[in-house]
Amino acid sequence: MDEQELISRSKSGDVEAFNLLVEQYQRLVYNLALRMLGNSEAAEDASQDTFLSAYKAIGKFRGGSFKSWVLRIAANSCRDKLRVARRYRIISLDTLLLETDDLPQDNNTESPEDYALRRELGRFLNEGLAHLPEDQRLVVILSDVQGLRYEEVAQVTGSSLGTVKSRLNRGRTRLRDFLLQREELLPSKFRLNK
Amino acid sequence: MFRGKGEPMCRKVRGMLSEYIDNSLSSENKSLVERHIETCEACSKELESLRMTVRLLGRVSQSPVPRSFTLPVPEPRRESVFVPSGLRLPRPATAVAVIAIGPTSLRWLRPATAIVAIVLVVLLMGDFLHAFENNAGVNSGRGDATYVQLAPSYAATEQQTMVTVPGIMGQMSLATAKAVGYTEYAMVPSSPVSQPITQPIPSVLGDEGPTGAQVIVRGEAGVGWPLRQIEIGLGAAVFVLLALIIFARRQRTKGVGAG
Repeated sequence: MDEQELISRSKSGDVEAFNLLVEQYQRLVYNLALRMLGNSEAAEDASQDTFLSAYKAIGKFRGGSFKSWVLRIAANSCRDKLRVARRYRIISLDTLLLETDDLPQDNNTESPEDYALRRELGRFLNEGLAHLPEDQRLVVILSDVQGLRYEEVAQVTGSSLGTVKSRLNRGRTRLRDFLLQREELLPSKFRLNK
Repeated sequence: MFRGKGEPMCRKVRGMLSEYIDNSLSSENKSLVERHIETCEACSKELESLRMTVRLLGRVSQSPVPRSFTLPVPEPRRESVFVPSGLRLPRPATAVAVIAIGPTSLRWLRPATAIVAIVLVVLLMGDFLHAFENNAGVNSGRGDATYVQLAPSYAATEQQTMVTVPGIMGQMSLATAKAVGYTEYAMVPSSPVSQPITQPIPSVLGDEGPTGAQVIVRGEAGVGWPLRQIEIGLGAAVFVLLALIIFARRQRTKGVGAG
């Protein structure tokens, strides 16, 4: 069953068809929420909210990219969570450190030292992302972590192409500066200023 | 971070480095960047550091989902289904026959109830104001008018006193019984609702009566159609429709809320 048929059946109230779409996109949505919120529990909540909202609103989906549409809902859900977190100081972005094993293993013979370095680098990247302003963080995650094209990022963020390019440039530069300040802690092969 | 000497050109080129890395610059701007970084070491380092940053971000793996985010599928028995708040699920097939009045029925139940209630109110108001009374005596419903011809010289008590005569169905006034020649009759107790209303007799009685004859219409003045039955029917309809609305709302609540 192709995506369009699943969407069509979901619009008529077929939860099982919608769940097939959920299975297809849940990893993407969860990882966006995880990078945006830096907290696995909040990311779970945001992901569940995303799919509930998507099911309720699927009647309003007027075609185009379902992936962009659902990621847009996820981005809005993350913004809501961050707004609440700021208001009640639930999450301090300075202390956001992800526990996940972020960087893929280079090969099967990775030494314990390399493993530790890889985890450290993943921690730096997540910390760096957490230090970006919200709009830049979203664009950097969508473009560089999730590999979306500029046009898709523009759809997800509801911004113009020019805004996306500008935010991406500023976000990358800012993240690069953050990593450079901690370069001595990076593994040599990952150092930016060789 | 990396300071170049040719500041204006460096600023311009650095603004395009991100797009250059993504290979989305026009050929003209791409050449401009390439020519500049060949001669500007600072911008060249800037480009390399940005490229490494993008490469590092590309190595960030997608974490596995800790649990599935699929929505609960409704089972045929509605009461055993957990439905998250705000989620409207399709009605199970087995429940369709049982629940003919579903949440969507509210669309027509509400206006139908309003229309019936308005009609009922209009009828009740008209009834109270006697707007529907038909004093001509043409009665197809509950009328109990009796036509009696009387001479104006008859005593008022004889006109108003009703009697029954053996062998004759119904009642007649004492004056009529005497005029016809009956000698045996039984008095009928007078009723408060049976006060006669007199009015000029219609021409249909014509030659049969003496001049100045009058018609006596006993009881309430007639109405040309069964008003009371219609009012009762409409009242019952309003109650039934209200009950259906409540039922439909409960169905919707069950369908939407947590089961």
